[in-house]
Amino acid sequence: MNDFISLERIVKVYPPSVLAVDSVSVEFRKGEIHSIVGENGAGKSTLMKLLYGLIPFDSGTVKMNGAPVRFHTPGDAIARGIGMVHQEIELIPQYAVWENVVLGAEPVRGPAGTLDTKRAIELVRQKIDEFQFNLDPLAQVDRISVAARQKVEILKLLYRNVSVLILDEPTAVLTPQEIPQLFAELKRLRDKGNTILFISHRLDEVLELSDRITVMRKGKKIATVAASETDKEALAQMMVGRQVIFTSKRTPHARGASVFEAKNLSVARRDGLKKLDDVSFEVRAGEIVGIAGVEGNGQFELVNSIMGLAAPSAGTVAVGGRSLSGLSILERRKLVSFVPQDRGKMGASLAASILDNAIMTHHRLEARFAAWRGLVLNYKHAREFADTLAKRFSVQMASRQNQFRSLSGGNQQKVILGRELLLSTPFFLMDQPTRGLDVGSIEYVHGEILAMREADRAVLVISADLEELFLIADRILVMHRGQIVADLKTEKTTIEEVGRYMLEGRVSA
Amino acid sequence: MTRKIVSGLLGVVIALAVGALIMFFQGYEPFATYAALAQFSLGGMAPLTTTLKNAVPLVLTGLSAAIAFASGPVNLGQPGQLVFGALAATLGGLYINLPPALEIPLLMVFAILGGALWSGLAGLLRQAFDMSEFIVTLMLNMIADFFTAWAIAYPFMDHKAFSPMTPRIAQSGWIPDLGPLNSSVLVLIAAVAIMWFVFQRWRAGYEWRITGQNSLFARLGGCDVRSNFMAVMLVTGALAGLAGGLVVMGGPHRFIKGLGANYAWDGIMIAIMANNGLIETLIYGLFVAAIQTGALGMELITNVPSEIAQVLQAVLVLVIVATREYAALIFDRLAARRQASVRKERAA
Repeated sequence: MNDFISLERIVKVYPPSVLAVDSVSVEFRKGEIHSIVGENGAGKSTLMKLLYGLIPFDSGTVKMNGAPVRFHTPGDAIARGIGMVHQEIELIPQYAVWENVVLGAEPVRGPAGTLDTKRAIELVRQKIDEFQFNLDPLAQVDRISVAARQKVEILKLLYRNVSVLILDEPTAVLTPQEIPQLFAELKRLRDKGNTILFISHRLDEVLELSDRITVMRKGKKIATVAASETDKEALAQMMVGRQVIFTSKRTPHARGASVFEAKNLSVARRDGLKKLDDVSFEVRAGEIVGIAGVEGNGQFELVNSIMGLAAPSAGTVAVGGRSLSGLSILERRKLVSFVPQDRGKMGASLAASILDNAIMTHHRLEARFAAWRGLVLNYKHAREFADTLAKRFSVQMASRQNQFRSLSGGNQQKVILGRELLLSTPFFLMDQPTRGLDVGSIEYVHGEILAMREADRAVLVISADLEELFLIADRILVMHRGQIVADLKTEKTTIEEVGRYMLEGRVSA
Repeated sequence: MTRKIVSGLLGVVIALAVGALIMFFQGYEPFATYAALAQFSLGGMAPLTTTLKNAVPLVLTGLSAAIAFASGPVNLGQPGQLVFGALAATLGGLYINLPPALEIPLLMVFAILGGALWSGLAGLLRQAFDMSEFIVTLMLNMIADFFTAWAIAYPFMDHKAFSPMTPRIAQSGWIPDLGPLNSSVLVLIAAVAIMWFVFQRWRAGYEWRITGQNSLFARLGGCDVRSNFMAVMLVTGALAGLAGGLVVMGGPHRFIKGLGANYAWDGIMIAIMANNGLIETLIYGLFVAAIQTGALGMELITNVPSEIAQVLQAVLVLVIVATREYAALIFDRLAARRQASVRKERAA
């Protein structure tokens, strides 16, 4: 057989008791693009990190060309030609491309071992040419695009003569336009005899790119199939364990009166740069408005202005005709429900109990939580409330007294979403509501958002996931350099058009 | 819960073992020393009640530090707040003379206000000028130290005494003994109970806890983090001030130079050992009080210097904190291994 690398009955338990990889056996062939797909938490990243020697596994065997090997560090793995590119790009931004590439394995000359700059640049240039990477070795890394930085990461491994490349969700940081280019490069690498192990949960990409696909669910390998012999629905069913519907369940719904209104909103930095530049829009009752845009184009400032974390330099935000300027956060929370993008930083206290997280804000706004004229919290009601919330939003938990961090990401989001939904405010602000969630949880969250629309609440969803916006939003606003550059009806636009607005701020002919 | 108890007990045992080793290499007899320590702190009514009385300032300052740390503010000003509370109670007792039923509560209120004044100052500086309370409270400790030294050496000095101290406060302000037990212990128990209730059951306590864990989340949730910060500073200052007042009212009945001793610093250490838990602070505070009380007696019958108690205390803090973190790691790893081996058997 040409099974080049084989993993046999690999088990990994994250202390204390999370069974991340459950007796997985899989073979990778030389010269194939092999995708590992699964929901978040299915164990695909963990499996690859075990192979790469980044984390130790508890039992099982790794074989290369039939002989058992064990990598204790990534260095061991690289020495045998296996390298990994992580989700987060880890380069030194102030260094040039070539410096980042050779770092740790520099060509040197002379007895003192001084860096041979000329040869280093030459070597890097050779690799760039060999793989047709279209990179300038002398460019400084913080001046090049995210896609180019990713190429530098891959180049780092090629420079070290790695022939097995593990890529952990490389497309997550790319815009729709950059993805085909990456795929072309990966295919070229494969055609030169390299092996690509590609981690993803985006099924369209995986089907387009891969030769073979391994599906994982809850730490177990479900199957390895040839890409040519499967389709999206079959993969999704294996991933989730049941059928998934990809088409939007959005039904026509009449818009009501204007609920949220931003007027000429601007946020200027101290040096005068406008992070938010004269933004005006409204969200009506029973309407879901999506905000698309590459991160850092003013979304953060928009959220802060609405929530009262930072005062805008000009303009106003109003909910139900009432201006929010000058209102305390508590006053705003009577009008605005908020699901932040970072659960652990803004949406919850991981160290507190599920109960304590569930009652936040309610504890101030609802009389039934107060006893002794508001001095004492009514924990009897709090407990009932937490149980009601858990039941209504099907939160899987052992006990409401457990720490919030003991919940899975999907269940954490359900608690936060439920808490905010039950505030019964007219306006709902959601920042990346499904980031880091698995397919099942995403479906659930989308269902709840659509239900809010049915209940005639006004919803503003900020998302980096265009597919998400196309599934749930009635209108899509595109933010680019602090401005809203497009206001598009979802039915009358395409992902490609929105992507172009995101990148260029306009659609060039 | 059981984990907490196991790792706490394990920490104490290891710390005592390390202490025994230190004594052994110094040429002392560890077991005789520990026996003497126990005998003079727990062996009988008199040692036991002395230990309890000595625990009062340790636990109160420990509570102050634990509540502050668990709620966010880094209040390290317990030493200054303690002497300010002591001074306030002393001054009240010098100039006001009411029946004991009024005098004692009044002086305690004075002590509370004195401590709260000093921590409140740090809180105000934080809110007005964004000065870190961490550094401000430390600096205010120095000022409080010298200010009280001046106060008892000049305006309020007892001219009959040979060293700086105030005259005695009115006898009606002395905290009475209930048999062998000084009733300041009852005040301590009440304070722990009230603070537990405030911290665990009040709305404010809920907001303090959440703010201490994640202040941005608390803020976005509508908690008034500014006024909560001030409230925590005031309450924790009040607790340290009360400790100072009780030291004066239950002991020398006057402000003597060096009155604050190391109570507050020990209290902060106790809070660290207790991982900012309130009940844990009470338990560790009693434990440290026993060691300190026993050490004095131990010195009388063994040739071990009472300084060994300080060594022991330092070892305790280090070992208990290290054990807590390491035990959690080991418990987790054991659980993981157990599960992995189950899987392996099933696969085989």
